[in-house]
Amino acid sequence: MTQIDIKIQVNGLWHELAVDPGDRLVDVLRDRLNLTGTKEGCGEGECGACTVNLNGQAVLSCLMLAVQADNCTILTIEGLQKGSELHPLQKAFISEAALQCGYCTPGMIMAANSLINNESEVTGSMIRQHLSNNLCRCTGYDRPVKAVLKAAKMVSKTMPEAGKPPV
Amino acid sequence: MSVYFQIEEYHRPRDLAQAVEILSRLGKKARVIAGGTDILPLRPGVRENDSIRHLVDISKLDLNYLKKENDQIRIGAATNINTICTSPLFLSGPYRALAEAADSHSTTTIKNRATVGGNLCNASACADLTLPLLVLDAILVAAGPKGEREIPIESFFKGANYMALDPAEVLLEIRIPRCPQKAGTAFVKLRRHQTAIDMAIVNTATFITCNKGHCEAARIALGAVAPIAFRSKKAESVLAGAELSEETIQKAAATAAEEARPIDDLRATAAYRKKMVRVLVRRSLETSMRRCRS
Repeated sequence: MTQIDIKIQVNGLWHELAVDPGDRLVDVLRDRLNLTGTKEGCGEGECGACTVNLNGQAVLSCLMLAVQADNCTILTIEGLQKGSELHPLQKAFISEAALQCGYCTPGMIMAANSLINNESEVTGSMIRQHLSNNLCRCTGYDRPVKAVLKAAKMVSKTMPEAGKPPV
Repeated sequence: MSVYFQIEEYHRPRDLAQAVEILSRLGKKARVIAGGTDILPLRPGVRENDSIRHLVDISKLDLNYLKKENDQIRIGAATNINTICTSPLFLSGPYRALAEAADSHSTTTIKNRATVGGNLCNASACADLTLPLLVLDAILVAAGPKGEREIPIESFFKGANYMALDPAEVLLEIRIPRCPQKAGTAFVKLRRHQTAIDMAIVNTATFITCNKGHCEAARIALGAVAPIAFRSKKAESVLAGAELSEETIQKAAATAAEEARPIDDLRATAAYRKKMVRVLVRRSLETSMRRCRS
């Protein structure tokens, strides 16, 4: 097996790694970079627990090889908060009680993050459509939808640059 | 390290010539990878990855583009499906069926990675994008050791998960030739409602041009009801030249159902699929007719 050198930017830090050709992005995030906030559920693209942002877009880190992320910018749930200040999405998920066991939450929040960053205005149906790749088996979907709506309002108030693609 | 997906080598050719050279050398041991969303689930415990030992990544081949030139639309094989969903090119005219198929393909998260070429080359009988491309008479452009060749989409699919490309060939582009802008098209799909990811039980795309209440030409493509997606030519001939009445549409839909050769599987029975072909084709034809400008 031939290892491959890759360079990825994760949560603002560049990492140079040698990976096996079959290593998936989720394996590298969790096992090499110890970013275990990204969860693996089904491992075949159905559940969305492993959702991260790749160059600002929501992608499934179980359906992507680490080598495919070479030279890309990745944001995981760990990179969302600024210092000790939680991101509006994290705050809203707490205040709206949008989680119970929490296993799907990092994926749901990362899917929602790409939506509120890429759209100037979001509606309930846009959120439902955008989160349709994220399964929750305990809370359901009403509370997460409310939480994302609330966070979207907070973001548009506090971060006027939202809606513009990340540099 | 990964116990999930094991391959010997990952190749990242800089250009087409290098990609073709690698593919020619490795033959059936290699497979082209673009987005990877159909390849990554191929692993023991999920689905058998029988012979893939090498992956050849085509992301450096600049195959991610959408162009309109002289009424012809050219889609790079590695264009992701979300690009089709969001492009204004497919919002109107005869291309609407393509936007509808891309919308229903899966979720935004998957469509950010999944590509048009991947949807075709996987050669699944239920691949959504296949159907509008069949009714739009798309031409597939591939390159291999002997140079480029054009393959009409109707002769691209050879069997379940089996298509016309040689192991050393790469799909480069999907061309939608000039077609009557007054045509109305539609795509309709039936799937289990609980998920936006599951594959179609039946899917169909239709294309109609009409003049003074009469059908000039009709094209009907059926998916998930035979080993490959195909054009239902008998149903098309029911419509060609006929008055577009409820009766002719019903007759064409029934003829399409007769032409379907579905099987029983975990999603539906063959009998149910046949009934649904009739319903879906009728609905799709009605929508196409409404969208038709005579």
